[in-house]
Amino acid sequence: MDSSETNFFRKHEFLIRRLHSLSGLLPVGAYMIVHLLTNASILNGVESFQNLVYQIHSLGKILWIVEWGFIFLPLLFHAGFGVVIIMGSKSNTSQYSYVANWRYRMQRITGMVALLFIGFHVLHMHGWFHVGFWKTFAHAIGMAQFSPYNAASTAGEAMQSTILMPVFYFVGIAACVYHLANGVWTMGITWGVWTTPQAQKRATIACAGLGGFVMIVAISALVGFCTLDTDKAQEREIEMYQESVNVGRIIENEEKLSKPAQKKIKRERRRK
Amino acid sequence: MIKNVYGENLTSFTVKVRRQASPDSQSYWEAFNIPYQADLNVISVLQQIAKMSKNAKGESTTPVAWDCGCLEEVCGACTMVINGRVRQSCSALVDNILDENNDVLRLEPMSKFPVIRDLVVDRSRVFRALQKIKAWVPVDGYYDMGAGPKQDRKRQEQAYPLSECMSCGCCLEACPQYLKVETQRESDETDEQFEDRKNAEYDKNFVGAHAINQAMLFNSNPTGKMISGERLDALTDEGGIQICGNAQNCVAVCPKEIPLTTSIAKAGRAATIHKIKKFFDSNEK
Repeated sequence: MDSSETNFFRKHEFLIRRLHSLSGLLPVGAYMIVHLLTNASILNGVESFQNLVYQIHSLGKILWIVEWGFIFLPLLFHAGFGVVIIMGSKSNTSQYSYVANWRYRMQRITGMVALLFIGFHVLHMHGWFHVGFWKTFAHAIGMAQFSPYNAASTAGEAMQSTILMPVFYFVGIAACVYHLANGVWTMGITWGVWTTPQAQKRATIACAGLGGFVMIVAISALVGFCTLDTDKAQEREIEMYQESVNVGRIIENEEKLSKPAQKKIKRERRRK
Repeated sequence: MIKNVYGENLTSFTVKVRRQASPDSQSYWEAFNIPYQADLNVISVLQQIAKMSKNAKGESTTPVAWDCGCLEEVCGACTMVINGRVRQSCSALVDNILDENNDVLRLEPMSKFPVIRDLVVDRSRVFRALQKIKAWVPVDGYYDMGAGPKQDRKRQEQAYPLSECMSCGCCLEACPQYLKVETQRESDETDEQFEDRKNAEYDKNFVGAHAINQAMLFNSNPTGKMISGERLDALTDEGGIQICGNAQNCVAVCPKEIPLTTSIAKAGRAATIHKIKKFFDSNEK
């Protein structure tokens, strides 16, 4: 018979599904929008983006709690339970090729694409875990490329490593944006905000507007990093780092600089 | 007159039927050639097949089993999948179908219910769902309860379309979240034991759009709403409204054009409020 674990999921099926619906918007979707807006600040210059990253990293030792509590764990729950939901359904767009049915199917396809993309993206930039041996390993395989105190230059280098990277990121982000915009629409039905076909049509327009806006922000960020002069950005970041440490805006932590930047600073010190 | 692909007048057409001798045997396709007549419906085609009892190869065969009742699209018994789309066979006119799809008529049993034989399926899960959500007005008792409260015109007009449901199962057949549940009878089981086990299995799985719509119909009735909390409890139980994935096929295939997705969204709203009230106020029923 059933184990108590599956009984727990069965008994709280309504609550778990509603939490899945909610977690897609709060905190996961909201975080995604803030993340993309932050990244798009690169168009305003290396300084704007670097300052925003300083602000995030000013959380210091509790940053990982925020990361895991508000981003990674909700995301893992949303993605993991999303896979369970997909496994309990059977798409039939070939038989019933209505627009809403395609949207339903696309929601599942983009969910899977987003899961793979975000999994790679977090490894690529962040490295998943910031513990000693794992960090060394991630660096060795060309992952964990983002250094918070060389924010713009390391992100730019990661984007410019191959021509495929921006294409891959574009597809991944587009899947995430569709999933969010269409997810807000279905969420409105699930929670009973828009009920009639007319209201749902208006909500579709609003959600498409939201998706379009987020996509523009995302493309701005992508273009910004792909066209960035990373050498110049690195120089500016090193200046900013030294000044910011001097005036006490950030606490000295060379771990958060990229390897080449660390070397440059050492060389400069020796010269003095 | 209907023309064939060569532009000639159609004299006969092919009917392919997905057949299955018994619940646990394999299904197979059998083709039949039917002489064309104007104004046939799928039921009369099936009657023609029974009369011929010969397939397209000229071999003699058993008549195709199918279910029907009213023959005017109000009972739902003759629901089947015709050329890939679920609908009632009584109101499926052959001329219209051949117009859309050259010369061939494909008949299949609904895929979400256990097949009993050929095109006959066991729809008991549809009715079990209505039991689960208490799709009735509770007036049974040992004494006269008097006249019920008056319904205003506006509410009557809102409720009428919801009441047109004939529990045919089209919404369930087209729903990508509604999966087939088939319970095999065990050799040492009594009828009652098997029935109980079957119902328990049904109750774990999605109730479906028709039941959600009926819950909203009876929750809007001035007498029916006396047990609205019980219906919402059933709708938020395992297999309840939370399984809906908003593909909205239900409303697109409903032969009665019932605003099913509006009922689902309204049930979602009612469930949200009901659950919050229950969580914060233990007296809420």
